Amino acid sequence: MTRRIARLFGRGGDLNPRNMRLGIWAWLIQRVSGIVLVVFVVGHVVAISQASFALRGPLVTMLDGLRTPFYYVDRTFLAIDLIMLGIIAFHGMNGIRIVLFDTGVGVGLRSHKVIFWILIAVAVVTSGLVIYFGLPLLGGT
Amino acid sequence: MSANRSTPTNVWLWLFQRVTAVLLVVILGVHLWLSNFGQASASLRAILGVVLLGLALFHGFNGVRTVIFDFDIGAQGRKFTTMLLLLLGMVSLLFGIQGLWPLIVGG
Repeated sequence: MTRRIARLFGRGGDLNPRNMRLGIWAWLIQRVSGIVLVVFVVGHVVAISQASFALRGPLVTMLDGLRTPFYYVDRTFLAIDLIMLGIIAFHGMNGIRIVLFDTGVGVGLRSHKVIFWILIAVAVVTSGLVIYFGLPLLGGT
Repeated sequence: MSANRSTPTNVWLWLFQRVTAVLLVVILGVHLWLSNFGQASASLRAILGVVLLGLALFHGFNGVRTVIFDFDIGAQGRKFTTMLLLLLGMVSLLFGIQGLWPLIVGG
């Protein structure tokens, strides 16, 4: 175990930052963000199911129930949600690149770098739009 | 060594992981839009909610399985991991259905 870790992170190892280039960073961040998002999704689902205890009607009321305990009282949850938005955007866009790679679209190394950065730009722009237009509606100013 | 080898199960899971990935990007976009700006009938929201719940939980827990299987944990460990993740996924699914229940029945 220790030897394997040493081989991974040591001199010449695949996960030694010195040797890591764009592709392996994308791979690593994709995995770490994936784990984070699973924890988030389970928390998100559990939070909503608990919030819906107090609800009678459809989603408008459900969202009101969500806003009061989670978003107004404690802004950290709003901050966490916004960070998650960025992580989701990254994971989704890099995931699209992986699917493109697996289906043979733009397999060349160069085109994949271009695709990667285009998709990252899309991720940044879409999360920016959601924050810019969505935040006032959530009461987060 | 033989963790993520190409057994029929793993190949199907790989394929579903890709299919759910693409669907999730689309449906998550709709989900974000609806929860911030949109208007849709309760039944449409209920259907979207259930579909999104199922896809997200499958994709997430199957992804965790892939990550764990990349470590050498032995056949026993792999079986245990699969069972544990299935259980956690099912429990989360029940929580989610409970949360969506007012939407599902209250249409």
